[in-house]
Amino acid sequence: MRYLTIALSKGRLTELSVQLFEAIGLDCTELKSSTRKLILQDEKNKIKFFLAKPSDVPTYVEYGAADIGIVGKDTLLEEGRNLYEVLNLGFAACRMVVAGPAELYGKLDQLNNKRVATKYPRIAREYFEHKRRESIEIIKLNGSVELAPLVGLSEVIVDLVESGRTLKENGLVVLDEIADISARLVVNRVSMKMESERINRIIDGIRKELEKR
Amino acid sequence: MGKWKIYTPEGVQDILVNECFNKRNLEDKIRKVFSSHGYYEVETPIVEFYDVFSAETDITPQETMFKFFDGQGRILVLRPDLTIPVARVAATKFKDTNYPLRLSYIGNSFRYNELGGGKQKEFTQAGVELLGVNSPEADAEIIATAIDALLACGLENFQLDIGQVEFFKGLMEETGLSSEETEQMRLLVDSKDFVAIEELVKVHDIKDHLKELIFNLPGLFGSIDVIDRVKEYPINRRCINALENLKRVLEIIDDYGYSKYVSVDLGMVQSVNYYTGTIFRGFTYGVGFPILSGGRYDGLVEKFGKSSPATGFSLGINMIMMALDRQKIEMGKPVIDSLICYKKEGRKTAFEICETLRKQGLSVEVDITGAGIGEIKKYAEQKGIGGILFVPDSKNIEVHNVENGDIKAVSIDELLKSGGAL
Repeated sequence: MRYLTIALSKGRLTELSVQLFEAIGLDCTELKSSTRKLILQDEKNKIKFFLAKPSDVPTYVEYGAADIGIVGKDTLLEEGRNLYEVLNLGFAACRMVVAGPAELYGKLDQLNNKRVATKYPRIAREYFEHKRRESIEIIKLNGSVELAPLVGLSEVIVDLVESGRTLKENGLVVLDEIADISARLVVNRVSMKMESERINRIIDGIRKELEKR
Repeated sequence: MGKWKIYTPEGVQDILVNECFNKRNLEDKIRKVFSSHGYYEVETPIVEFYDVFSAETDITPQETMFKFFDGQGRILVLRPDLTIPVARVAATKFKDTNYPLRLSYIGNSFRYNELGGGKQKEFTQAGVELLGVNSPEADAEIIATAIDALLACGLENFQLDIGQVEFFKGLMEETGLSSEETEQMRLLVDSKDFVAIEELVKVHDIKDHLKELIFNLPGLFGSIDVIDRVKEYPINRRCINALENLKRVLEIIDDYGYSKYVSVDLGMVQSVNYYTGTIFRGFTYGVGFPILSGGRYDGLVEKFGKSSPATGFSLGINMIMMALDRQKIEMGKPVIDSLICYKKEGRKTAFEICETLRKQGLSVEVDITGAGIGEIKKYAEQKGIGGILFVPDSKNIEVHNVENGDIKAVSIDELLKSGGAL
């Protein structure tokens, strides 16, 4: 039997993903050990796991280097990869929003020359150009995006919001919601066909497990 | 100056000895399959007018094409695809030919592809187009030809998924969704995004049975009974026709004896504006992308001035090479059978021997360095040449076995009769 390869997002999704796979009977012992090995195996079920930077997971899956992946919807939207997005895992839920100073609330339309600071240029562009049909100037940042409107780098931001506390403490408000975000199970388009039986078994297992929760 | 002269641009590659040998071999095998099915090969230019491709935004989006200008400012492109040029040829150069018209091609295409997983900006496509007939027989012939081509390449574990875009179009017609919403739905079905499909279906006023069917659409793949499962729903004529057409195609494929290679996928909805009927894609192990794709595109040829139904497929030779490599399927190596060296007195004889052996189908290399036998042996060994023929004069020949060091003296007659077996 061939190995199925599963790519997991390194970070807050790792632990939740491991729990899920254990719940459906995969052996994640190696995955939980503090080994330095990059590829970890479940010999019994012929499955290989590896951890990757979240934004790389869709790439691994699209190219078939991994058959299956777990990754946040934010990353999927930003990377725009060609793959099957088969399950909403529900965890790591948050929202992708446009935020800015409260005085802009309801007045986003009136703002000429929007400068948008974000870690997600593709999502921001897609939202403003296709949904709102407005031109924007993107300022790509790598962290603490909330800072940008405070110091005059941009008018608004596009970012993930979980509780909204950071926004509130900095005098920013949500101006519009772009999408609900949570972890997703993705599958390579060819693997879905060539290994449909085994992959469907995993998908069904996870689906049942999620229903229990 | 000349900073880049030792590099090749990203996305194009040199194809060297063994790989080139394998690639040509594959192309030859595929070419034989095509011609044995009655397809005539055509060659179209690598450079075409942009206009040839500009209307097919599904297949060849503007941003994927290499563009430049001719002397009159017209936009030229490196062809991103070969089906569309063949359709142009069929509608213009073959407009008075009796149908069906069977054409094939093998050639390079160019796209601004993102690299990785076997994708390059320059890649070789091989394919056939069958014009003038819209029947399940034509669709099945194309699919069977595709399977024959894959088998000829040495692949055994592969799968062709067959779908029917008319089924999706019929469903969408029934829902009354706008063309924008239909496109949104198509994208979701294409990525099997059950979650979002459910949400999208919920917000629209669609009949319950239809909702259920659309929601199930991404999962409607597998064996032929998928079709029967769907037939239980009250669907419109367009959908029923699509399913019946698909079923007939599958029946014909069964008579070809190729049922084991195909399965059904009703959720396959790529490029629905381009395709008009049966569509299919080929998959195998070791490659994350389809190795071939094709289908019926009855609207394409008309755009070049002659209305004609058409179906065809193209396969990616580079993808197939990657699959063969990953699946560890042996493809062979180029072989030189003998190296011939001579003294001046034996030169004429040496050339005569060369000619005869080459006519027998052997590949014979002539030593032109004039080096000693020791040097020549080293060269032969390094290049993997099995035997050296040394011709000192017009009478005598020494056969040196490079592997075990044996030296045998033979006559010309003996040598030529042996067919190089000495």
